[in-house]
Amino acid sequence: MNKARRFSILLASVMLVLATVLAGCSSNTGKTTNQPATGQTEGNKTSDNKGNDEQTSTDGKWEFGSEPLEFSMYGHYSWYDVPAWDSTVAGRWLKDNKKLNIVPVSAGGNHEQKLSTMIASNDLPDVIWMDRGAEVERLRDMGMLVPFDDYLDKYPNLKTWMGKDLNMLRSEDGKLYQFPNWYTGRPNGNAGYVINKKIYEELGSPKLETTDDLYNYLVAVKAKYGNSVTPYEPHLAKDQQGLGVLYTAFGEDVLYSYLNAALRAIPKDGQLTSVFKDDTFREAQKYISKLYRERLISQDAFTQTIDQIEEKVMQGRVAVFASASPTVIAMNAHQEMVKKDPNSGYFMIWPIHKEGLDKNKIYPGTYTSLGWNVSVITTAAKDPEKIFAFLDWYTGPEGQSLLFFGPEGKNWKGFDADGYPNFTPEYDAEEVLQLQKDQDPIMWNGNTGYIDPAKMKYESTLPADKQNWAARYQSEITWKTQANATEFVNMDPAPDSDLGIIKQRIDDIFTQAYAESVMAKSDEDVDRILDKAEKDAEASGYSQLLEFRTEAWNRNKALLENK
Amino acid sequence: MPQATTKPQIHAPTQPEPSRKKNVVVRFLKQWDIQLMVWPGIILIFVFAYLPMYGVLTGFMDYKINTGARIFENNWVGFKHFSMFFNAPEFYTVMRNTIVISLLKFLIGFPAPIILALMLNEIRHMMFKRVVQTITYLPHFMSWVIVAGLVGSMLSTENGSINILLQKINLIDDPVNFMSMPEYFWSILISANVWKEIGFGSIVYLAAIAGVDQSMYEAADIDGASKFKQIYLITIPTIMPVIVIFMILAIGNLLSAGFEDILLLAENPVLRPVSDVIDTYVYRVGLSNFRYSYATAVGLFKAVISIGLLTMANYLARKSGNSLW
Repeated sequence: MNKARRFSILLASVMLVLATVLAGCSSNTGKTTNQPATGQTEGNKTSDNKGNDEQTSTDGKWEFGSEPLEFSMYGHYSWYDVPAWDSTVAGRWLKDNKKLNIVPVSAGGNHEQKLSTMIASNDLPDVIWMDRGAEVERLRDMGMLVPFDDYLDKYPNLKTWMGKDLNMLRSEDGKLYQFPNWYTGRPNGNAGYVINKKIYEELGSPKLETTDDLYNYLVAVKAKYGNSVTPYEPHLAKDQQGLGVLYTAFGEDVLYSYLNAALRAIPKDGQLTSVFKDDTFREAQKYISKLYRERLISQDAFTQTIDQIEEKVMQGRVAVFASASPTVIAMNAHQEMVKKDPNSGYFMIWPIHKEGLDKNKIYPGTYTSLGWNVSVITTAAKDPEKIFAFLDWYTGPEGQSLLFFGPEGKNWKGFDADGYPNFTPEYDAEEVLQLQKDQDPIMWNGNTGYIDPAKMKYESTLPADKQNWAARYQSEITWKTQANATEFVNMDPAPDSDLGIIKQRIDDIFTQAYAESVMAKSDEDVDRILDKAEKDAEASGYSQLLEFRTEAWNRNKALLENK
Repeated sequence: MPQATTKPQIHAPTQPEPSRKKNVVVRFLKQWDIQLMVWPGIILIFVFAYLPMYGVLTGFMDYKINTGARIFENNWVGFKHFSMFFNAPEFYTVMRNTIVISLLKFLIGFPAPIILALMLNEIRHMMFKRVVQTITYLPHFMSWVIVAGLVGSMLSTENGSINILLQKINLIDDPVNFMSMPEYFWSILISANVWKEIGFGSIVYLAAIAGVDQSMYEAADIDGASKFKQIYLITIPTIMPVIVIFMILAIGNLLSAGFEDILLLAENPVLRPVSDVIDTYVYRVGLSNFRYSYATAVGLFKAVISIGLLTMANYLARKSGNSLW
């Protein structure tokens, strides 16, 4: 009896120990099997590269789709995961017709930790989709990125569509490591003011051009609708958004980007100067804080979530909605609202300006020719050239038309003389809209300069009220009122350098002072808060940062003039 | 721990050395089956808690992430990162908030479950007691994202239920912007914490109370002691050892003012002067900017103080005879 009990305890313990050992070693074994694997791939990579070079020297370029291609891809964002390759129409089409398979690597909502772990364990994905700037430089500095220079002429789409601005993407060593997304030579962007049509008409359609008009209008909204309607909805105010848009109303050629974390400075006579001392900024903050004090701006502006904003806009409970990109939310809301009541919905207005300024020199938003973010190919990739060949195809007319209008045959067939798709009579606007929405997560290197005119080619054939809501206001207003801020890119110091530490402090001081000055109790209070912020910033080394950024700015201007 | 070695031996070494050594081996062999059950746990703790500890060395280096686990390839910089933290302009605010918030959590959050347990114990209606218990411990299983969302929409100025209620009973004219006012932040944070954890925390005290000898209450009844007297003179002294142990552990956690709750409830940068604590600071300044060495140094500083506090609390508790070691 006792022996039997002892034996069963022994058995249980052995199993527990085994479980422990297995659990303890699983990560280790994972690593140990991985490391040789990556070592191998690296070994392969070099040999493959040689093979490729030989191949290319004989056959020239590699034709995308001629051989199966598979690589792993990771999106370096907390809110984003590369979707399963089969889950989209374009993905399935590429798999069937171009023998391409992309294996997603998930960030699991914790991208900073994920990337750090992958770097530390030398287990990088083949392609990383991420923001331009310090992190790309960090990877490059560690020798983990593949330069594109050898491929640029062989696969010419990027070079053709991006032009000389490509040089702005080059790293310190003069090489190109990043494939841009939504790059363009033409103005684009959506920043501006969206107005609730029904409320506007019920209040007698007043003039809405100057900051005073706007103030009077918001007061009227508040008087008539009380707490049931938010007069001015600025989206996520801690990221400036609609409040930053208002800032641009107070000066000609004043850019929204001046307040961005990547700049936080006002250019004056070729020198970057403190944002806290700037008169235009102070005037704008006083105006904004007056609106906030009088409850004309959403009191939740700094704490609300995007869901809450969306809900308000969808229900028509905002009178004016402004943001760096209000179009997606406003378009959805407009479409839902007109279904119930054709007289409701939203429309956009020409940007607000302060009395006496030229309304054609007011820019509520900016764009850069570099676009938004980039794809980089890491040294873990076996065949970087083939991956680049795909990316280049993807950003060209065929790839872009596939992403925006579906596979060739249904909505479009062939290209016209300018290279834009020929739309068929079977063109299904609903289906196209759905495709664009579904395929948005796999638009990694959007070619804005190509796709905007392509979209317009279709929209321009329709009467104004039949046009796509966003496309209509983009062509009528927003594209004309976005300024080019390409000269202000790449101005961040390395995050773990001394300047990086200063930048971090300035960011903290700014975000806090910004929120405080919006919530200030009086105009004097605004001045007091900004004076204090200026003092703190100065003590933290703001002037060193401004100097560093002025230099970077001058370098950018030189690069841009050289083209 | 130094205390452990100075603690008087239970079995005085009466036998000569070699035979005692042999004794230990014999004893170990005799209980091999029981030892087998302990070792998996010890190995687990060693592998996952002690082995990775060499990472704290990076606090004294300029750690570069591409060196991975080969940390000795980095340069030693001594106390550079520590002095950077002590001289940072945020140091005072961060330390003050950490201490204030954790003290508040300790002073309010620690006794709350005890009081709830004592109150629940006096409920005679079993059904009602069960329902209250279940409802109070459920929030423990919600993540902070959900709780913060709940708190946020309840306190919102637009359609927030609290503001609507206050307006309906005419206490205020205009909605109060609770989530953006520094003076309310600590109250909101502590209330949300108590609400979330009170029920779950009370389970252990309820169990302890259930173990109290019923005959003591009967005797007290006969002597004419009131309900409050009984709680004060019988229940609390009997569950004191449990309370003390949990208090020592809570004191060891004093510098952990919280992370997720603060990060999620303090969305507005206006709140930073009252909400920035060591953990949120490490996250914002250290990890988000790849300053791993700096983050490690600050974390190590926190751990050292926590161990000090724990040792001190244990020393005091030992005088009452209920210490951890």
